[in-house]
Amino acid sequence: MIEQEKLFNDLVRQYSEPLYWHVRTIVGSHEDADDLLQDIFIKVWKALPGFRGDADYFSWLWRIATNEALSFLRKAKVRAALSFSRIDPEAERVSDPNPFFDGDKAMAALRKAIASLPDKQRVVFGMRYYEELSYEQISSITGTSVGALKASYHIAYEKVKAFLTDSD
Amino acid sequence: MKKTMPYSTPEGYFDSLQGRLSEIPARRSRINLTPYLALAASFALALLAGNYILTKTAASQPASEEEIVEYLIDSGTTLAQLEDAM
Repeated sequence: MIEQEKLFNDLVRQYSEPLYWHVRTIVGSHEDADDLLQDIFIKVWKALPGFRGDADYFSWLWRIATNEALSFLRKAKVRAALSFSRIDPEAERVSDPNPFFDGDKAMAALRKAIASLPDKQRVVFGMRYYEELSYEQISSITGTSVGALKASYHIAYEKVKAFLTDSD
Repeated sequence: MKKTMPYSTPEGYFDSLQGRLSEIPARRSRINLTPYLALAASFALALLAGNYILTKTAASQPASEEEIVEYLIDSGTTLAQLEDAM
């Protein structure tokens, strides 16, 4: 148990910040990303005893985080479709006036552009553009082929660029 | 495109995040220490609940929002199908 706790704390130290940014790019809002990080690391703690020591912690953590974030978005969309929440969560996140968004106009446009992407394209865009992961790394996290990822990233990149050009 | 992350966080956020995340093992251990107590409590609760159900009503409670969302996702219902149904 002490070994497991030590390993867990090492993972927290090493990965909590990059994982936060990974999740934040997917869900947009700071509060949602913060809540999700708690859920993700609870899952990590529970799954740690079964983790194979020779496997790659990075891919494992990113896989858990990506699945959690996508599942969160799916639930939010179903809730919105059922009108449990009257405001479209996507629109709410983008226009969120909370202080944890940069007020800068260009940054706001970029946030809107990223939020306009379909969920899976946003995941690929964030991992490739901001996290600078290789297609092979993204493939081992998402289980999608490298070819499909390249196509997805190309489409996402062009969409973001077009969105920013149009908003000028 | 300029490669700037268009988001920010409250000051000192990552220190507090690490602190909160590091508490997870202790919190989970506290939860794990109580299974016997939980078992005893669950017997008592089952008796009370059974009594309540038998004496009060058999009418089903409406499903919670979370249950409905889980069901729709598990059953593979698409957003388009949902929107059509609304």
